[in-house]
Amino acid sequence: MILLAKLALGALGTVVAAGGVISSEGFVSVRVHEKKPGGTHISLIVPAMVLDTGLHFVPKENLQDASEQVRPWLPTIHAAIDAMRSEGDTTFVEVKEENQHVTVATRNGAIVVDVDDDGETVHVSTPLRAIDNAIDQIAAAGPKN
Amino acid sequence: MNKNSQLGAVLCLLAAVVVMGAVAVKKTAAAATPEKFIHVRVNDVSKGEMVSVNVPLSLAEKVIPTIHNGNLHNGKVTIGNMDMQDVDVRALLAAVASSPDNEFVTVKEKDQEVRVAKSKGNFIIHVTDLNSDSDESNKSDKSDKSDKKYEKRGQKVDITIPISVVNALVPNEKQELDLVAAIHALSNASEALLVTVHDGTQDVRIWIDSQNDGSK
Repeated sequence: MILLAKLALGALGTVVAAGGVISSEGFVSVRVHEKKPGGTHISLIVPAMVLDTGLHFVPKENLQDASEQVRPWLPTIHAAIDAMRSEGDTTFVEVKEENQHVTVATRNGAIVVDVDDDGETVHVSTPLRAIDNAIDQIAAAGPKN
Repeated sequence: MNKNSQLGAVLCLLAAVVVMGAVAVKKTAAAATPEKFIHVRVNDVSKGEMVSVNVPLSLAEKVIPTIHNGNLHNGKVTIGNMDMQDVDVRALLAAVASSPDNEFVTVKEKDQEVRVAKSKGNFIIHVTDLNSDSDESNKSDKSDKSDKKYEKRGQKVDITIPISVVNALVPNEKQELDLVAAIHALSNASEALLVTVHDGTQDVRIWIDSQNDGSK
């Protein structure tokens, strides 16, 4: 009985630890809602770590172009992301038109893009740290100088 | 004696906690110095459009020095062969800065008025152009009849720049403008409306304040 309890405790601990590791980088959230009758509704919440891990499986030759383009801008991207992370929540861009509303903002360490127009609403939220890591990986995929 | 030393230890501990708390509060207060944002707002009444951009000045201050592209390097923009005709711009600015508030230039024409003044540590430039043809795009768009009521309203530009920012933007001997120094000077300046442009159906405003969403 005690052995079973220990095993259960171990399994629970592993699950909690795994959950902690998986959620340590936050979550990427995507929601798409088409307003027409019978329109598509998509709601995805994926641990940001999946983005990070997924990039390891992309063949390096497929990332070389992106790598070459992103490398010169790495210091700028890092500086911008660091500054955005140290700032509080900020609405960077807002565009309002007659039938469209777009915002790009930082909320709780994530960059959030919201689009609301006649046809659909789209919400994408990605943790800044995940973006930083992903860009580092893309930059590292190119040939070493 | 033993009790007294215990009491002393507790009091010391309490005093330490109070001192640490005071230090923490002071640090928090210092950290709570409001972040300044530069806001750009463009309103087009005829189309019902609004674009708002809000950038923390500290972000700009950190990001701009990392950009090395074209004429921009290390936060400085290299301008071309700018011939200042041996005019010492810094001395000129210092003289203007130390002079009392005044309207330095006023030009009035039939359809145009230009005023350059200094007030409360700021350079102020007003330009009013009553005969502006800046609405040509609206005039040519005959399909949008609602634009017609906005035609011929002319153009009005108001610019208010702190003298400290102008000083920072004076080119050095290498013909470079120090953008980071200008942003730093802006973040040290008080909250202010920097630029307003009214042009037919469009209004543009650029200002500095501590709001993170330009809701002012």
